[in-house]
Amino acid sequence: MKTRLTIIICKLLRFIGKLIGKGSSLPGKIALKICPDILKQITLPPYIIAVTGSNGKTSTVEMIAHILTSNGKKVAWNKEGSNQIEGVTTLILNSCTLSGKVTADILLIESDERFARYTFRYITPTHYVITNLYRDQLTRNGHPEWVYNALLDSIHEETQLILNADDPYVSCFGYGKEDVVWFGAGDLSTDTVEFDGVYHDGAYCPRCKHPLTYSKYHYNHIGHYSCENCGHRRNETAYTVTDADLEKGVAVINGQYEIKLALKSLYNIYNILAAFTVASLTGIPGEKIVPCINNYVLKNGRVVTFSLNDRKGILLTSKHENSISYNQSLRIAAADSEGCDVLIIVDAVSRKYFTSDVSWLWDIDFHLLNSENVKRILLAGTYCNDLAVRFSYTEIPQEKIMVLDTVEAAVAALDNHNEEKIYVITCFSDKDKFLGKVRINQGTE
Amino acid sequence: MKLLHLYNDLMNLYGEYGNVSAMMRMLEKSGISARLDRLSVEDQPVLSDYDFIYVGSGTESNQKYVLKHLHTLKEELKQYIEAGKVLLMTGNSFELLGECLTDTKGKEWQGLGLFPFRIKEQDRIRYTGDAIFTMEGLEQPLVGFVNKCSTIEGVNLPLFKVKMGLGNEGQGGMEGIRSKNFFGTHLTGPVLIKNPDFLIYLAQLLCVQAEAEQKEVTGMETEIEAKACEGARNKEADGGNRELLNTGWLEAERAGYEVTLRELGKRLSTHG
Repeated sequence: MKTRLTIIICKLLRFIGKLIGKGSSLPGKIALKICPDILKQITLPPYIIAVTGSNGKTSTVEMIAHILTSNGKKVAWNKEGSNQIEGVTTLILNSCTLSGKVTADILLIESDERFARYTFRYITPTHYVITNLYRDQLTRNGHPEWVYNALLDSIHEETQLILNADDPYVSCFGYGKEDVVWFGAGDLSTDTVEFDGVYHDGAYCPRCKHPLTYSKYHYNHIGHYSCENCGHRRNETAYTVTDADLEKGVAVINGQYEIKLALKSLYNIYNILAAFTVASLTGIPGEKIVPCINNYVLKNGRVVTFSLNDRKGILLTSKHENSISYNQSLRIAAADSEGCDVLIIVDAVSRKYFTSDVSWLWDIDFHLLNSENVKRILLAGTYCNDLAVRFSYTEIPQEKIMVLDTVEAAVAALDNHNEEKIYVITCFSDKDKFLGKVRINQGTE
Repeated sequence: MKLLHLYNDLMNLYGEYGNVSAMMRMLEKSGISARLDRLSVEDQPVLSDYDFIYVGSGTESNQKYVLKHLHTLKEELKQYIEAGKVLLMTGNSFELLGECLTDTKGKEWQGLGLFPFRIKEQDRIRYTGDAIFTMEGLEQPLVGFVNKCSTIEGVNLPLFKVKMGLGNEGQGGMEGIRSKNFFGTHLTGPVLIKNPDFLIYLAQLLCVQAEAEQKEVTGMETEIEAKACEGARNKEADGGNRELLNTGWLEAERAGYEVTLRELGKRLSTHG
């Protein structure tokens, strides 16, 4: 009876919440107050797929949902991205009947990595994807090893892990597990033999601290590694990106499935690969997956095209406090051979909490913008001075750089008739401050 | 002048390499030639060769890993500190100089024992937060961020007075440790970039200790640069936007500091 009542209340609250535009975590929060073990009372579907990791969760989950539904599966998933236990509770209670049975074929959960141990106390995923472990929101998360330990508590014995073999941290989750499905990238033309990042989280073996040897780096600490001391090494992959051409925008999986890329980045390729792997494991053949993700444009608003009078531009949502996310966007801008201006905005570090810490700027490889393709660099927002100091430590010609206190001033400075494309690199917390001043084009690139 | 960034690979969790970059630039721009060595657990540094040593913060496991190596430098480090040479340790690196460090599994790690404090770690909550500290000898407070999982007991001579944020024993009180010219604090990240006055203070101290001919550290290479800074300041006051070329890096650092102090000040006034 209590279960039924809790479900009804949660559904009602969600219904009202949607009408008045509220987020999706409050109904679940209240449901958990009324009945703390409500998730234990629910009959879940045969497939429960969980996705976590530092980067790429939302995009991966969206693509998995898209592939599965396009292939006739009924999927319940946290579309709004509320990925802590409250949001997941809202999702589940809204997807079940009043008697407490989830009617979908597949329950697909994006989970916050630090709180996954609470979310998966009552839910045992059948499949659990861990994308990567990077320096992300360290003012809250501490550091990747801290997150690793928190995640370790969330893994059930009977869950099948789907792991990124190229990440030496993520690979550690595979010890003691027989049935891990590994995904990763083989030889890519963009690989480097030498490490070229600002900091190297893969310099030492995460298991024994002996120096780790890399035969190739895909980017940062992601690559082909092995430890001479303890034997920790990249596992052979069952799902592999065998070829990728970022200029043409094509990636090939397992030597036979060619996928056209809407977003030409290696990070996007990993998300596609993870989604491909999951979809394959649910029984969908590769040739049916490919048409779903060919040129697939993410609907999560991470990439937005806009016009500023006669100038065209792209906003690449990048996570503040996450150097890898920034590097990805910097690479895309710097690779634009048609020439571009780049605007970087750091006005509020986070939309969810306050901090004035900008240490993370020092982990970002801003030197990537030292390219002839980049004509001007504009640094704007409350923390424009910190950005300016950070840039003064790169070799980018200082005359290319302009420092502006406000987003308004940056928009005014860009509002000219120059032909170059504008790239705006900023976070969820700041992007609307810019997008409110330009015309957003329908559809994203 | 010789600078050492010790454990630059293992203890560099929050962009802390910026601290040595800042010190190098400050010295060079002030007309003092300086050399920087980056050494780690595979190396055998001779500490007495250096005029400035810096160690940053690391993961709890990296911290324990470098401890073994640091034990081999114990006597040298003791003499270095006693000689009044400048040592800056930020984040959890300075914890290694205490008596004992108890980790989350209850294992006791013997510290270098140069100071009588004890450290205890836990693995449930991360103690994090923005901070405003004041220091004797500095007019302006310091700003920064603390990111740790440990508590510290038994510091006799703390470094900072806490105006906002976490001290040695919870919120408020005193923070860090000072002994002669050894500065230990749980502040993380590029502390010397975020606090240009503290950078100048340390750089000056460095020059005095090294008995350098030059004792005044300005960070300004030439008069032209100093004038350009002034010009940029005036331009800014006029409401114009400034270009980095003319602003000068030190001026941008000061502006960044002021903004953070202002932002933290707002929190301080609303949250007491």
